[in-house]
Amino acid sequence: MNRNRTNPVGVVIKYVILIAVSVFTAFPFVWMMFSALKTKQEVMSGGFFPTNPQWGNLISVLTASPIPHYIANSALVSAAVILLQIVTGALMAYAIVFINFRGRQALFAIIMGTYMLPVAATYIPSYIILSDMKLLDSLTGLVISSTISIFGIFLLRQAFMQVPKGLVEAARIDGATHFRILWEIVFPITKSSFITFGLMSFISTYNNYMWPSLITNSKDKYLVSQGLRSFFIESGAYGTEWALVMAASAVIVVPLLVLFAFTQKWFISGIGGDTGMKG
Amino acid sequence: MKHKTHKLHSADIGTLALFILPALIPLIVFWIYPILRSIWISFTDWDFMTPDYSFVWLKNYRALFRDSRFYAALTNTLVFTLGTLIPSVAGGLGLALLLRKNFRGNGIFKFILFSPWITPTVAISIVWSWIYQPSDGIANAVLSLFGLAPLKWISSSQTAMLSVIIVTVWKSLGYAMIFYISALEKVPGELYDASAIDGAGSINQFLSVTWPGISPTTFFLIIITMVNSLQAYDQIQILTQGGPSGSTRTLLYMYYQLGFEEFNMGKATAVAVVMIVLTGGLSLLQFVAGQKWVHYGE
Repeated sequence: MNRNRTNPVGVVIKYVILIAVSVFTAFPFVWMMFSALKTKQEVMSGGFFPTNPQWGNLISVLTASPIPHYIANSALVSAAVILLQIVTGALMAYAIVFINFRGRQALFAIIMGTYMLPVAATYIPSYIILSDMKLLDSLTGLVISSTISIFGIFLLRQAFMQVPKGLVEAARIDGATHFRILWEIVFPITKSSFITFGLMSFISTYNNYMWPSLITNSKDKYLVSQGLRSFFIESGAYGTEWALVMAASAVIVVPLLVLFAFTQKWFISGIGGDTGMKG
Repeated sequence: MKHKTHKLHSADIGTLALFILPALIPLIVFWIYPILRSIWISFTDWDFMTPDYSFVWLKNYRALFRDSRFYAALTNTLVFTLGTLIPSVAGGLGLALLLRKNFRGNGIFKFILFSPWITPTVAISIVWSWIYQPSDGIANAVLSLFGLAPLKWISSSQTAMLSVIIVTVWKSLGYAMIFYISALEKVPGELYDASAIDGAGSINQFLSVTWPGISPTTFFLIIITMVNSLQAYDQIQILTQGGPSGSTRTLLYMYYQLGFEEFNMGKATAVAVVMIVLTGGLSLLQFVAGQKWVHYGE
């Protein structure tokens, strides 16, 4: 009977496939860390494991390179962006779900329409706008141009729709303002979506590359992606210093992996649960 | 007795403004206006350096449609989009089917498979460019383990697109998988029981119960992966810069080169408009097709 799902051959095949794909997936991370711990000669000569781990590579990236500065820029910009995107997104999603006003449907349709558009199509005019505001090559310009997240508005709207309407109505009858309802009723119920949104917003801002690289020129304004790229290019001047480049990548990637290990469930529930289309 | 007739979900204009404007103003300034402005610029010969420009109507579009680079970029975009879409969605579904039941190690597999998605594309593309090094890279060492001839990976126009696709699929596989895992959880268990009573084998059961049940997710993933592929920039910029000899120049990369390297803003925005039309058209097509074969649960 093929209804018996626990036949041992099937289980072995399942594990073989999963392990093979996982090895393929994890390999670049492992290779990055091994390469980061090798000497310049060893990294080229092709041994698999670092024979004598060069922790000094990591220390020199952390103390004698601009990488920590880029990490600080990315962290600062993403903190500001998360805050703005959550506030603007929550207010807008609340209005769309709980307040009746003319043009509500049209407004939501426009927001959804922009969700599908290629962001890059906005870059040339947005560049001009920032230049007119004298905000090119500044972290402020980067933050201001990322004030909203269309994805976030959509995610919070989906979550708010699950809040029982009766709760909101009762609070209105008791004379609560919309701000109080959002903060004291809707937010506590939908907290998990806020956490997911915050994490997603953090990842996309922290890792962002194309837009920041277009509007920032001076090195002290680089976010991690652009900073790492310039580190990569410069260390290529006399034959790429792969060990140092991998050490710099590791310094940027490993903390994110650790963060992810602790926050995995929020990403997974957010991606799978709330954004899938539901009729 | 004003507040008795006051509608529960209404708000005075000031409150409404406070809720809507913080998002609406940036939406207009950094999304809607730039899109419209892009369309306008695509009808001009503006070069960014000088303030004056003249209206040239369809000249940029005519130049674009006569440019062989444009058709090469269009083909590359199509190859890249299908080349990333099909393995990511099919592979994501396969992995989700394997991981759907709870078993020892389930969580670790999910963690590993999803982790590329949260790491910066630039950093991992640099790692991959080291893996791909023709002489000292590990990719060729692995090939030789299997007795295969070494490849030039990102240094040859024959294999550069494949190399970029591998990195992109590597990054997005776990994302599709997570969508499917939660979609599979939502397929009602009684449907499986019913089909088991009917004596359906596992393949039949997949086709008659699982596949229709997860079709909204497939539909959503196809659109979102397509939009992401059309916008892929980071890995192309790091790995190949659109080369060698234009073999990985997608529409988006062409837009970047025209706009921010050649400062041909009119032609660049014409490419942007083509991308907008493409995305819009494909989404619409997907939507119409979706009405026919996507089964939404009751």
